[in-house]
Amino acid sequence: MIAISGVTKTFQRRGGGTHLAIDSIDLQVAEGEFVSILGPSGCGKSTLLYIVGGFVPPSRGSITVSGRPVTGPGPDRGPVFQEFALFPWKTVLGNVAYGLREAGMRKREAERQAEALIARVGLKGYESFYPKELSGGMKQRVAIARTLAYNPAILLMDEPFGALDAHTRVRLQNELLELWERDRKTVLFVTHAVDEAVFLSDRVVVMSRQPGRIKAIVDIDLPRPRHRDELLLQSRYQHLVIELERMIEDPPEEIRP
Amino acid sequence: MTALARNEALIGAIPILGLLLGWQAAVSAGVAPSALLPSPVAVFGRVAQNLGDPDFLGHTAVTLYRLFVGFLIALAIGVPLGLAGATNRIAGAALKPLVRVLAPVPKIALYPALILSLGFDDASKIVLVTADALFPILLATFQGAAMVEPKLVWSARAAGTSPAGTLLKVILPATLPSILTGSRIALVVACIVVFLAEMITSTDGLGYLLVRAARNFQTVDMFVPLIAISAIGLLLNGALALTRKKLLVGFPEED
Ligand SMILES: Nc1ncnc2c1ncn2[C@@H]1O[C@H](COP(=O)(O)OP(=O)(O)OP(=O)(O)O)[C@@H](O)[C@H]1O
Ligand SMILES: [Mg+2]
Repeated sequence: MIAISGVTKTFQRRGGGTHLAIDSIDLQVAEGEFVSILGPSGCGKSTLLYIVGGFVPPSRGSITVSGRPVTGPGPDRGPVFQEFALFPWKTVLGNVAYGLREAGMRKREAERQAEALIARVGLKGYESFYPKELSGGMKQRVAIARTLAYNPAILLMDEPFGALDAHTRVRLQNELLELWERDRKTVLFVTHAVDEAVFLSDRVVVMSRQPGRIKAIVDIDLPRPRHRDELLLQSRYQHLVIELERMIEDPPEEIRP
Repeated sequence: MTALARNEALIGAIPILGLLLGWQAAVSAGVAPSALLPSPVAVFGRVAQNLGDPDFLGHTAVTLYRLFVGFLIALAIGVPLGLAGATNRIAGAALKPLVRVLAPVPKIALYPALILSLGFDDASKIVLVTADALFPILLATFQGAAMVEPKLVWSARAAGTSPAGTLLKVILPATLPSILTGSRIALVVACIVVFLAEMITSTDGLGYLLVRAARNFQTVDMFVPLIAISAIGLLLNGALALTRKKLLVGFPEED
């Protein structure tokens, strides 16, 4: 479904230098697969996701989605950002209906579908609220609904729960998993939380820093559907978490620029 | 109005009352002969009289017309230019030096040239108002649009909006708070410059009323246009604040 081959990104730095953010990334993600990208801060997780989204062009290498090269953003790949990035001038309903309206749907029908989605993410009754009137967790639910609205085949999630408190984070992880079990979209999920990556994913891609490279890819062979309370007790889960934590803790190969 | 807002309004009225009292005290103390410095009571009495005077209202309407048309043209030029400059590199590269060169020029200095080319009527004054109101709007729009969170644009692009479409659907609404801030400054500047232009050469408008009164040593009438333009400024500011509340419902509050 997604084929990332030889993707490298160098940023121009002020004063003429360059900064190698990610280097020669090769990764294939199958249709319906949930893949997490795990790594320390600054290893280029976001950069990689933005390149797959078509928001930022790679310096070298290429991405194809279902065989077609990525040249820009498109409704086949729906992003969800850590900062929510909701339109502050639109209500919850307006935000969620946005993609449907852009696809040419009539206002009435778009709003009807948006209302259904808002109910699905547990925000029934908040349709007329503005983003600034919502809590962080509610904002992220709206952002997820806004993206689900145009039914992208792929979800690109950049630390979507990173700005939320521990309790809300766990709730949203559960809800995301439920949503995913239902329609099995392909998900590329960036996080630096090991337990989150193990709980959600089929595979975890571990990245190292400076430059960002793939250090290892770990299969998460835990049965689905997964339930958090059962999982936490399983030794296989605990092993995976410990194994991955060791991998990230390893001092990064010090290739200072 | 909340209790707090009411208190703030009261506190705000105190210095203005102080100013008027100081004025009255200066008159009572005989700082200047009352033929030169009339008392505020006399001035406000004349203002009240004039409110029913078609001649005075006509002059006020002329000033308002020039102010509004000039301001609206500035808005119609400044907002698109600012958006273009901030979102298109070529437009930005072309625009920035020009703005830097023109913004500090005192626009009133162009007025003699404007009179010669456009005449004494409305056109020269409207162009002058536009020239002065343009830069605060242009600069505020430019800065606001340049600071729009890229992820808002990305979210729209992923939802299927074309690059050009994001200009109207994302950048413009996201820049609205800055545009309104620029407009607020532009309206104050416009009040000043329309008055000045009318004082320099005109046969109508509030500025002309002031000059006419001064020539005839009608000192009370001299102060009336000043009170009028300051009241206009106050009303416009209030109208803009209301517009702001309406248009910016979803944005964080600011003053
Ligand atoms: N626009 C940019 N210009 C210059 N350098 C950049 C830019 N964006 C990212 N970088 C650099 O690229 C590297 C990777 O950044 P990126 O944001 O992708 O990291 P990350 O893994 O997402 O980190 P975090 O977990 O903190 O979000 C960093 O060293 C960063 O300084
Ligand atoms: Mg990041």
